[in-house]
Amino acid sequence: MIEVKGVTKTYGKKQNAFLALEDINFVIPDGASVAIVGKSGSGKSTLMHAMSGLDRPEKGQVVIDGVDILKLKSKAVDRFRSEKIGFIFQSFFVQANESSFDNVSLPLEISNLSVRERKKRVLEALRVVGIDDKEKQKARNLSGGQKQRLAIARAIVNRPKIIFADEPTGNLDSTTGATIEKLLFGLNKQSGSTLVIVTHDEDLAAKCDMRIYIKDGKIDKIVSEEK
Amino acid sequence: MKTIDIIRRAGRSLRHAKARTILTSLAIAVGAFTLTIALAAGQGAREYANTLLTSNIDPQVLAIAKDKSFFEGGKTGPQEYIPGSSTIARPNGALVKRLSQADIDAIAKRSDIVSITPTYAINAQYITRSGQKKYTVDATTYDSGVTQTVIAGSLPALRTSITDDQIALPEAYVSLLGFKSAQDAIGQTVTIHLERTPSVTEDQIQQAIAANNPQAIAALTTKQVKDADYKIVAIVGKSATALAATTSVEISNNSAKALSDFSTSGTDSYHEYTIATASVKPGIDPATVKQDLINQGYGVQTAKDLQGLLFTIVNTLQGIVIGFGILALITSVFGIINTQYISVLERTREIGLMKALGMRGRHVSRLFQFEAAWIGFLGGVIGSIIAVVAGLSLNPWITSTLSLGDGNVLLIFQPVPIILLIIVLMLVAMLAGYFPARKAAKLDPIEALRTE
Repeated sequence: MIEVKGVTKTYGKKQNAFLALEDINFVIPDGASVAIVGKSGSGKSTLMHAMSGLDRPEKGQVVIDGVDILKLKSKAVDRFRSEKIGFIFQSFFVQANESSFDNVSLPLEISNLSVRERKKRVLEALRVVGIDDKEKQKARNLSGGQKQRLAIARAIVNRPKIIFADEPTGNLDSTTGATIEKLLFGLNKQSGSTLVIVTHDEDLAAKCDMRIYIKDGKIDKIVSEEK
Repeated sequence: MKTIDIIRRAGRSLRHAKARTILTSLAIAVGAFTLTIALAAGQGAREYANTLLTSNIDPQVLAIAKDKSFFEGGKTGPQEYIPGSSTIARPNGALVKRLSQADIDAIAKRSDIVSITPTYAINAQYITRSGQKKYTVDATTYDSGVTQTVIAGSLPALRTSITDDQIALPEAYVSLLGFKSAQDAIGQTVTIHLERTPSVTEDQIQQAIAANNPQAIAALTTKQVKDADYKIVAIVGKSATALAATTSVEISNNSAKALSDFSTSGTDSYHEYTIATASVKPGIDPATVKQDLINQGYGVQTAKDLQGLLFTIVNTLQGIVIGFGILALITSVFGIINTQYISVLERTREIGLMKALGMRGRHVSRLFQFEAAWIGFLGGVIGSIIAVVAGLSLNPWITSTLSLGDGNVLLIFQPVPIILLIIVLMLVAMLAGYFPARKAAKLDPIEALRTE
């Protein structure tokens, strides 16, 4: 369960201060798929950063599994991210020079897993996203869709509780985008991890259990679909 | 994150930027090359100096002078007059006291001294043998503590002198004295001729005048001569590592004393010696004997002191070359700092991603420092390998050009200093990588991952 309570984030100082997030409150149940929807500059990315422990809003709480991550020390936050969070970005951010294997292996190296366990998990993650034949290929030689699959493999390899996806299909053509969407939602259902998608794409948002609309740093509306 | 994984990732990043990595490490390689050569040359020069000394000076030998100031060039300026002591002027104008026969006898009595040999002043006129021309000659005492290159005949074992009727000749005299070969000369007799102006006492002159004997008066002023015959025991060749003595004929201590006594009899140099060499009993540290003699007022130097002097020169020269190597290293340090800063800028996203995935700033910093260390390692290995290959292939040429003698090489490469050098270079490179690494560690992942 993710509880966001009264999160407020300001950029700049004094007269130049800009309120990026203002008193955000909501609760996401475990295993849900959630879309944070808003226009560019609405504060949806800032909200994602705050929820994932990358950014520290000056006010409010982000309680994940009973722990307020905004009160953790930086070392503990890094540990929290490496163990509980997976990230997927619009422009993939795969390391072009590294092989698929080494790209996916990075989060496991960060959390100190043994070489044997790493190998097992990386191969499994590559198989889940369907590019296990590209294990030794350099990431730069993959197509856009394959790169995003690689990024997804990297996000799930640590078996995180929450996966944040920032415009995951934004850089893909609609066919490839559709397969990636299918993959993401399939993983969400199978593994029971929470999926948080940041997007401005209404069609993608419509596929989620819960939609949080952000406008000018405030919650516009929250739509939940009961199943 | 485990250090080994960081090191692996650092190595991979460098492989992906091969040209840049190699160029940066070449800068370090220049420093490594210079330092490796400097270390090898220093080692070689020290070992060569050591070879020179051990083939010229017995380590158990002490050089003893009357006066401590002897080894500092002598005292300049007026000194207190001590009756019965004699002084000698040194080339720099300084006066030093000389050892008397009593000093020699006193030192010879010591239980820790095997033998003491003053440097005898022998004013030999010429050397010759029957039916041959006369040639000038310099006679010295046979040094039993040094191994000489024997061309023909044989010399006794170390620390054993030749007998009083024997002589060792340098090679040059073989043909001069009309021998067919060096072998031919062995066992033959040569003659050393000495002359002296007689010293005459007042009584002798008065007696001669009183006797009114012109022959006696003439006899008083006639030069006195001495011909000493010796059997050739060995012909000594010029050794590449010999410092001197190749032009002197060598005779035993007693013979030299006899000739010197004849030459100096009646002069103020009679039984007065500038310097003496004493041989310390094997097993006794010459340094302790030296200290004891210095306490008694003598000036003493051991073979080690001389070695120390030579080493000081070698070390100074080596220091200069090392200085140049360090200059090259300092230049390469800026090269590394620059390259690593560019690398951090280029890999902003990668750093951002790693931090977003929960990698500690400390580990990001280490990643860049290890990359710098790899560059240092590579530079060190390239530089030292080139130095070793170049050095080993040039060694024979250097040896022949500088006539160091067979078996002596100027550049001696030792693995331990080279390994230490590479480790030091890695540390220097890591130090250079510190600032770029800190920049990487402080990068804000949100800023780094912002899509433009």
